[in-house]
Amino acid sequence: MIELHDIVVEYGNGARAVRAVDGVSLKVPPGGSLALIGPSGCGKTSLLYAIAGLLKPAVGEVTLEGKPLSGVGSRVALILQNAGLLPWKTVWQNANLSLLLAKEYPKKTATAALEEMGLLEVKDRYPTELSEGMKRRVGIARALATSPTVMLMDEPLASLDTLTKERIQDLFLTLWRKHRFSLILVTHDIEEAAFLGERIAVLSDRPARIKAVVDNPGMGELDYRGQEGFIATVSRLRSALEVGR
Amino acid sequence: MRRVLVSIGAKLRDRSFRGRIMMYAASVGILLLAWEIASLSIEAIKGRAFLPNPVRAIAEMVRLGPLLFKNFWISAWRLVMAILIAFFTGYPLGLLIGHERRLDQLISPMIYILYPIPQVAFILLLFLIFGIGSPVKVTIVAIALFFQLLVSARGAAKQIEEEYVTSVLSAGASRWQVYWHVILPATLPSILTSLRVSVGLGMAFLYIAETTGSFDPRRGGLGPFIKNNMYSGTQAFAGILAMAILGLALYIVIELIERFACRWKYVPRRPS
Ligand SMILES: Nc1ncnc2c1ncn2[C@@H]1O[C@H](COP(=O)(O)OP(=O)(O)OP(=O)(O)O)[C@@H](O)[C@H]1O
Ligand SMILES: [Mg+2]
Repeated sequence: MIELHDIVVEYGNGARAVRAVDGVSLKVPPGGSLALIGPSGCGKTSLLYAIAGLLKPAVGEVTLEGKPLSGVGSRVALILQNAGLLPWKTVWQNANLSLLLAKEYPKKTATAALEEMGLLEVKDRYPTELSEGMKRRVGIARALATSPTVMLMDEPLASLDTLTKERIQDLFLTLWRKHRFSLILVTHDIEEAAFLGERIAVLSDRPARIKAVVDNPGMGELDYRGQEGFIATVSRLRSALEVGR
Repeated sequence: MRRVLVSIGAKLRDRSFRGRIMMYAASVGILLLAWEIASLSIEAIKGRAFLPNPVRAIAEMVRLGPLLFKNFWISAWRLVMAILIAFFTGYPLGLLIGHERRLDQLISPMIYILYPIPQVAFILLLFLIFGIGSPVKVTIVAIALFFQLLVSARGAAKQIEEEYVTSVLSAGASRWQVYWHVILPATLPSILTSLRVSVGLGMAFLYIAETTGSFDPRRGGLGPFIKNNMYSGTQAFAGILAMAILGLALYIVIELIERFACRWKYVPRRPS
């Protein structure tokens, strides 16, 4: 179980401090999934970085299995917007990065992770040689290589074309069901939230507060997009986002 | 070794590589032609060949062979040492102050006071204190280049996209791993560009260092060789030609280093 207790994130200090996240509390059970959706600039990335330990919250605490979570490691993986690939490293070196830097013993190899993503034949290429969709898959391989218990994603599919996006969403769903990690997905795409979130937290404008939590029990099948439950969730999310704007 | 030979063989068969060699040759040819024209025009206007033509300068180079060669190596060694010292001090320090904001606030004011001073102006002072040996000449050139490389490394480090740093931090990188995996490779292309500029600057600084104060010919180097022979044009130009060759050789070395160390810059973008 990963829990956020009353998280506050601020930039700068004193009178000129900017509050980006204002008291967010959440729980995600093992193997569960949570989507965070909110308007641009509301503080989604800040919240995710606080969970990942990249930012220290001004107030509050993140715990995993009841113990304070101290930063990323082989138990928590973060997938960044634009995949965060380093242009000077090959596909394999990028996929291997977390393992290279991890202090704990690797549970899987970069090669195995690339194979799972169907990227073995491009493993010696550089990121500039890849299509956008492939780059995102390399980012996923990097995260998978550490066999994380918690997977954090920051708008992992922003600015992809619809079909590529849906294909990778399908891939996320399959991986999530197969590997049983807890998934926290930040997005501003309503349909993505409805497809991948068991629960969906709707955030307010900056500073981010939870406006509503929408349950989405029907999700989990690849054909969910065509079902009534999906359409119902999408419209509930839309009205929740519009409240107070 | 065999693999190297095979790859060189493959390169020579590669048309684009042969094409590049041809362009290089054409470029040198055009330069020599321009020199010849300039030489002829000056002779036509002034009635005397102040500027020797390329054929005579090259013939002079051959005639002076061993002497010129000895001075060439003295200057080459000094220049390479100065560049290496400046590179291995200015580059890391520049990255450090470019990336650590606190350190930058402390050190940058000092840099911007010291940087615009023509450091070679202190050469006479250094000669008085330490004598006129090679180490002092190397040091003064190294100091001048140090500031060039420091300032450009600092700038390059400031330009790095935050995204890359976040990326390695999220993979669990320590502070030093951020330098090794991001700051260093991300700034390498622009630092190699500054290094090319440093070759040209270093050559000029070295000329000043080699020719200031004393003309002790035993100290050697291309600087005194050129300056001592200024009035017998052709010899001086043989020395200048040797400097040009030294510069070209260093450019080629830097080019090769870049091709190897920044391979990722030269891959074809996105095949479809
Ligand atoms: N390093 C920083 N210093 C000061 N303010 C910041 C910093 N990073 C973010 N902010 C501010 O905090 C707020 C939240 O930023 P954040 O990136 O978390 O939002 P977001 O919801 O992820 O936005 P987007 O939809 O654009 O990804 C923004 O108003 C931003 O201007
Ligand atoms: Mg964001």
